[in-house]
Amino acid sequence: MSETQKNSAPRAGSAQQLFRSVLVRGSLLSLVVAALGGGIGWIIVGTAGLAGGLIGAAIAFVFSSLTALSVLFGARLPLGGFFGLVLGGWILKLVIFMALIVNLKGADWLDGKTLFFSLVAAIIGTLSIDSLAVLRARIPVVE
Amino acid sequence: MITAALSGNLAVIGYGLAAVGPGIGVGLVVSKTIESIARQPELAARLQVTMWLGIAFTEALALIGLATPFIFA
Repeated sequence: MSETQKNSAPRAGSAQQLFRSVLVRGSLLSLVVAALGGGIGWIIVGTAGLAGGLIGAAIAFVFSSLTALSVLFGARLPLGGFFGLVLGGWILKLVIFMALIVNLKGADWLDGKTLFFSLVAAIIGTLSIDSLAVLRARIPVVE
Repeated sequence: MITAALSGNLAVIGYGLAAVGPGIGVGLVVSKTIESIARQPELAARLQVTMWLGIAFTEALALIGLATPFIFA
């Protein structure tokens, strides 16, 4: 094993397939949650409910995908770079999320309850997709 | 007689708790992954994927916790 190989994380070819399938399925699920949440919100609250449902699903999708993407791209970096990218991305995401919430909280064109429940549904859905994908994945010990 | 009083927005404590819990969780997940990769570098690919799953679950708690102002406000 060369010195470069020793210091860097193994390249994960099958992990790339795993993350690709997670991203595709996650986007499909978010579309379903956006349609359902937006639809139900629109029926119950009106236009504000539609906006809440769509934004909630979009936030959940963007944030869960960013985690998967950071691990996917981080796996190509040396180990320090991997953890830096994953954890730095995590902090950045939370700061952006807090800023989003502060700005969206008082908006009258948005129904907060629809946003929250749509967000929670999308998060739980993407978590189940992630777990199933990891359980079914065949990742070789040495690539 | 009032001996002590607390003023301000209670939601701030909620924000703090929503950050502290997942912060500890992610810290544990990452530290154990680093430890494991140091012990068995050949398992890094597998451990990274498992770590991602751990982070995804912890992050979900953070997102739900930080979004609660929409229902509790």
